Amino acid sequence: MGTATRAAVPAWSRRRVRIFDREAPLGYLLLVPTLLVLGIFLLYPFLFGIWLSITDSELGNLGKFIGLGNYRFELRNTDGVFYTALVNTFLYTGITTVFKLGLGLIMALLLNQAFPFRRFVRAALLLPYIIPTVLSYEAWRWMFDPTFSVINWLLVHIHLVPYPGPNWLGVTSNAMAALMIVNVWRGTPFYAIAFLAGMQVIPVDLYEAARVDGATRWKQFTNITLPLLRPVLLVVLLLSTILTFADFQGPFVLANGAPYNSTQLLSIWAYQWGIPGGAIGIGAAISLVLFPLLTLVVAGVLFLLRRPE
Amino acid sequence: MPKGNKRTRSDWSRREFLKTAGVAAATLAFPEIIISCGGQSSTGPSTTIPKARKGASIRLLQWTSFVKPADAEFKRQAAEWGAANGVTVAIETVTGDQLQPKTAAAVEANSGPDIIQMQYGWPHLYTDSCLDVSNEVNILIGKLGKPDPVNAAFCQVDGKWRAIPYTIVPNAWTYRTDYFQQAGVSSFPKTWDELTAAAAKLKTTGKHIEQTDGHAYGDSLTMWNPVLWGFGGKEVNADGKTVAINSKETRDAIRWAQGAVQAGFVVHPEWLDPDNNQAYHADRISGTLNGASIYIREKIEFHHYTDVTNNAPMPSGPKGTFAMNLIFNHAVMKWSPDAETAKAMLLALMEKDTYLKWTAIAAGYNAGPFDAFHNDPVFAADPKLKAFQDVVAPGKWPGWPALPSKKTAQAQTQYIVADMFAKALANGGTGDIEAAVKGAETSLKAIFERP
Repeated sequence: MGTATRAAVPAWSRRRVRIFDREAPLGYLLLVPTLLVLGIFLLYPFLFGIWLSITDSELGNLGKFIGLGNYRFELRNTDGVFYTALVNTFLYTGITTVFKLGLGLIMALLLNQAFPFRRFVRAALLLPYIIPTVLSYEAWRWMFDPTFSVINWLLVHIHLVPYPGPNWLGVTSNAMAALMIVNVWRGTPFYAIAFLAGMQVIPVDLYEAARVDGATRWKQFTNITLPLLRPVLLVVLLLSTILTFADFQGPFVLANGAPYNSTQLLSIWAYQWGIPGGAIGIGAAISLVLFPLLTLVVAGVLFLLRRPE
Repeated sequence: MPKGNKRTRSDWSRREFLKTAGVAAATLAFPEIIISCGGQSSTGPSTTIPKARKGASIRLLQWTSFVKPADAEFKRQAAEWGAANGVTVAIETVTGDQLQPKTAAAVEANSGPDIIQMQYGWPHLYTDSCLDVSNEVNILIGKLGKPDPVNAAFCQVDGKWRAIPYTIVPNAWTYRTDYFQQAGVSSFPKTWDELTAAAAKLKTTGKHIEQTDGHAYGDSLTMWNPVLWGFGGKEVNADGKTVAINSKETRDAIRWAQGAVQAGFVVHPEWLDPDNNQAYHADRISGTLNGASIYIREKIEFHHYTDVTNNAPMPSGPKGTFAMNLIFNHAVMKWSPDAETAKAMLLALMEKDTYLKWTAIAAGYNAGPFDAFHNDPVFAADPKLKAFQDVVAPGKWPGWPALPSKKTAQAQTQYIVADMFAKALANGGTGDIEAAVKGAETSLKAIFERP
């Protein structure tokens, strides 16, 4: 009976069955769709970006290889805009990340407590993410407007500043601070929700045992919450750093580099050269200038994640 | 040649050959003179009338006008032409800020709308993606006369028309007559120095004359380039290579601006294009430089300050009167499967009667780019609109006196001139002039001296 059944199965089908029976080939086979998607949507654009950065390409016109000419052009350019953008990008990322981390952690700790309407408040936390990006930035533009600013109106009416209040986007130092405030507003919920998710899976038994041993709230936080939150914290920090380094929409809608390039970031400077200026090769080079540094950051965080406790 | 097309003139006589060759040689030698003359010989080259293909579909992408009924009329006219010719027409409008990223994406993807509105010098940036429409422009020149020199400069790349002149959005001053009278200023200043004096008087009313010196892609350019030219300054020489910003004339222009700001003229580095409109409609300012949209919206929509609003052309500087207007043209893109149909539609929309219906609905916001539109009745119907007609003739382009190019477009999109003024006008008009000029010079050299 068994022999008869084997004879009835065609040879191609037997081969297929053998492949599905072996774990390693099946594993690679199942990876193929993912690798294809990653290759098409991540690897190809990335490699194409690198190629553009080493050519004299212009929009609609694939150029010829010029080596590191575009990088040299920006690094040696003495008008200072590139270096202003570089410094601003670091400041923007560094300062906002510290604030987002701190505020996100505080928000997560508060939301992890039991209180009325807890679910509603947790859902409301995602509001900055639900509102369409450009719409929220336009609203912020209005709030920062020297003529119609609701923030200034409030500050003046509670006698915190004299009339007419600070010119948020028209003065260099204020403008950079304004961009950072908006980024923190938009980014903090991401941290908070991620930290909250991390806190939810920490076993309650640990806290109960700590309380029995007489541990204070602070001791519980530093010895239980923070160590167990470390993997989530590092991943969130990594993602947020990369996204903030490349942030474009907010700074573009709010200031577009003004006043006189004082709020210029690498992302906007790359856009100005590549899209309105048509020099897509230079734009790509400006975008990729941080790639080696970001690679080191990613490698460092991944190392920390893999390090045993 | 597609079947059914009609050749209107095909035989060349020796005389016509000599005339055309002469014009071609002169164009190469003196491009600016030829552009200012319309760029055409009196007889004109031979033309072929493009014909629409029944069943074709045409997509056109352009900006959303500040005067909404103008967009509605444009769409109506396009739909009417489509229905008459069996063509499906879709008009897509986006904000001015979004138009260039969308255009760039289409150019890079080699796919997208059949027709794209080219603003400023885009035909010089996307030359290879824009079809040669010299034939169609020559047809229009035959019917409508010379094109406006600024439209021509933007549309022509290496002697070929890469876009069809479409419209001019004139920029003039809109001001409150009641505040001016209250301050003892009887009419809008005719010179930049008079503007400084008027700004000082208006300061006493609490309603200043105000304008952007930030990264507004329209208002900032239309303000600070004419100031620079009015005092004899320029970014680059006519050769399009030699940076010439570091000059006494540039410093004179900046000194005027500093004096004006110290007197009471208010500048806003944070303002984008809609901000001065909003400030005017909210009764916060007494005057600003803009397209006619402020006046038109007061007149047809808000009705708050219509009677006390008037418009005035650009003041003059020691070197004359200059203006910069927004210039839009239509390019037929190389990937269009129905390029002939797209060209036929654009020609139909530029027919004099059709076009004048559109400018009538636009209520003075747009001016036609050919001689035949110079006496557009829309400007005669309302004397307050005359200022917007007056600023068309002294109009120039960013980078003038050099012809538009990729490099002038790059200098424009990096706001180098506006930033130079903004740096010098910081802290109440007491910024470092030398640092501002040097910064602009370095940035311009990076662009113009790049191989």
